[in-house]
Amino acid sequence: MEISKKTEKLYYVYRILALLLLMLLFLPAVNPARISSLISKSTSLLTTGLSYSRLVENMGRPLKKLWVLPSTMQLLRFSAVGIDAGILLMAAGACLSPGNRKCKRLGSVLSLFGGIAAVAGMAGVYASYVQISATEKPDKINPVLPGSFVPILVMIALMLLLSVLLWVFVGKGESGEHFFMEEKYRLFLLLLPFLLLTLVFSYLPLWGLRYAFFDYKAGDTLSMDNFVGFKWFTMLFRNAQTRKDILRVLKNTLAMSGLGLLTAWCPMAFAIFLSEIKNQKFRRIVQTFTTIPNFISWVLVFAIAFCIFSTDGFISSLMINIGAWSQGKNFLMDGSHTWLKMLLWGMWKGLGWSAIIYIAGISGIDQTLYEAATVDGAGRFQRMWHITVPGLMPTFYVLFLMAVAGALNNGLDQYLVFENTANTTSIQVLDLYVYKMGIVNGSIPFSTAVGMLKSVVSVILLFCANGVSKRLRGETII
Amino acid sequence: MAKTKQEKLEAKLEKQYYRTHKSQIKKTRADIIFDVVNHTLFACFTLICIFPFYYLFINTISDNSLVQRGLVSFWPRGINFDNYVRILQVNDLFRSIGITFARTILGTAMMVGASALVGYLVTRQEMWGRSVWYRFIVVTMYFNAGIIPWFLNMSMLGLTNNFLAYIIPGIVAPYNIILVKTYIESSIPMELQETAKLDGATSLQIFFKVIWPLSKPILATIAIFGAVGQWNSFQDSLILMQSSPELYTLQHRLYIYLNASNNLSALMSAGSTSGISQSVLESALNAKVIKYTISMVTIIPILCVYPFMQRYFEKGIMLGAVKG
Repeated sequence: MEISKKTEKLYYVYRILALLLLMLLFLPAVNPARISSLISKSTSLLTTGLSYSRLVENMGRPLKKLWVLPSTMQLLRFSAVGIDAGILLMAAGACLSPGNRKCKRLGSVLSLFGGIAAVAGMAGVYASYVQISATEKPDKINPVLPGSFVPILVMIALMLLLSVLLWVFVGKGESGEHFFMEEKYRLFLLLLPFLLLTLVFSYLPLWGLRYAFFDYKAGDTLSMDNFVGFKWFTMLFRNAQTRKDILRVLKNTLAMSGLGLLTAWCPMAFAIFLSEIKNQKFRRIVQTFTTIPNFISWVLVFAIAFCIFSTDGFISSLMINIGAWSQGKNFLMDGSHTWLKMLLWGMWKGLGWSAIIYIAGISGIDQTLYEAATVDGAGRFQRMWHITVPGLMPTFYVLFLMAVAGALNNGLDQYLVFENTANTTSIQVLDLYVYKMGIVNGSIPFSTAVGMLKSVVSVILLFCANGVSKRLRGETII
Repeated sequence: MAKTKQEKLEAKLEKQYYRTHKSQIKKTRADIIFDVVNHTLFACFTLICIFPFYYLFINTISDNSLVQRGLVSFWPRGINFDNYVRILQVNDLFRSIGITFARTILGTAMMVGASALVGYLVTRQEMWGRSVWYRFIVVTMYFNAGIIPWFLNMSMLGLTNNFLAYIIPGIVAPYNIILVKTYIESSIPMELQETAKLDGATSLQIFFKVIWPLSKPILATIAIFGAVGQWNSFQDSLILMQSSPELYTLQHRLYIYLNASNNLSALMSAGSTSGISQSVLESALNAKVIKYTISMVTIIPILCVYPFMQRYFEKGIMLGAVKG
């Protein structure tokens, strides 16, 4: 007996529901067991079940004064365990569903039990809500039935119904049948956890971009009441102060990226001139030591800057010791030439490392070319210019275009650690500005809007760079 | 520095070449000037790269009173290692070191395991929807919601002020997955897998018995680069751990110390939540030395793994060269 098309369609609904429920387990925002505002906002349904201490961390006094009965919280906790286990069983059932009839049937049974456990858990949550509502201090406890309670209950009930239906529709397999699932689905199931991680950490943040369209302060909820449309985007242009700030930040960003692009040939020159040194040992030492700075963090680079350039650092101590200065100078608190200084720090950190790709490129150039050129009477510089440089150009193009595509993404670390009161106006790049506005000052919607514009422009730049590359060299860079 | 056999051979051949061709290759005056200038410039840049590390180091092992007066510039004076012993008595710092080691080891192990498994799975043509899922993972390299949505997402997931925030988001690393996939496709013969399959091995068995041992070179590469990344990472501690100083990483702690005032007690109360032990106060540790010593403690592990990393540079550079 074939499994009908209709049943297959039901299976899709079933799997999607199972996936959604599984995700809900991890999202504190939709925790149906958060029946009082004393339960921390960051407890997900899973945490509610796993950690009783996290659940009651803010409830010390109410529990002691018996405003909330410990038994209520225990009931809540075990209900959450029931829901957690139920949802996990249902997910397991869904995972078994691509298998043969015997797998499917086992899956239905699992999710049937899971559904029952989850419904019982939801009933328990409701019971503890009723109990907690009877508290003598409702203003302190704030009992509330979370808005997500009913939708989740509906989803679970639907799952329960589907498991029964599917159990009936699939029917009994032939006797002697073994559990079996096709290789293609087994491989997919192995990959599934990682796909979920990708979804949660790379795609889900995109959903956070909606904050750019609301008037949101930490702790608020988003609703149509505080929907403001493009207010934050127009504010960028309408508000004189903001416009000035943005222009300044944009100037810094483009100036520093521009300086980076102007000096993009430096690693290539570094590699070419290094390869002119015939002493292997010397070359090796240079390469070893110039690459080290690439592997320390920007905080450490700042520590280095501090020990050399601060008031009691190397240069100041030296100048005082030889009697040239009467007191130390702090170069780091000096606001002049900030762009250039940042460029130089970037080069100190990255030059040796960026050169490696070109060094590898040089060793890949056909040696006979050099020999032929020498025979033809080409001098050292002519060989460098006419053989080495053209040989490295393809690599240079790719890296240059990538740098153009990333012109707005200077990164945060370097500018954050080097920022101080003296240089703050000329060091703030977009990334730092967004961080300051959003995380430090707490204007989340505005900084989200700025970040969003930045991302959009970056993606456009990336596609342009890719297009240019395709046009010029017939190769894409992404 | 360890040289490979081939490099030694090359050097030898090169020497021979120059010895036999000496008469033919005449160095002109311009050549000599060029060589001198070239060597000098590279020597200078190398010195600039390495001297600050040396300067930091000699200041942490010298007599503190001399350091305080700025008298240690080129060589250590009054060598002792007391600073390192004392600095570990600063409770919070010791904790930060523990946190940083824990995240580096755990995070790297999980990332490498996941990259290996996913890299292998996406080479299996028979998987349901293989190319779609592969693209689903790889395309995340090219967009990014930005720092604020990322922060909001992490707090929605309950990963603020939570150690797991250092580990879980980094498990799936698209770049490394591409690397492993490319490596498996290009360096591990398909026949090996097919033979194993004929012998009745399951996909997981093939992964553990064939793929894992044979892809060790690439796994070592991503492990070492991943570990350095974990050790150096600073933003997640700064942004996600705002209300739990006990989870600060070493980099974050160093940042706080560097920015704190030069007054010793103010420095200590700024960087420390639980105060400092009496012995540190009594000792001659001064603010400058504390800052230098913490910097050194943070740099040393990097310098320790650095010689091992060098072998993987070429492969690490490949990071930029591969495509999805």
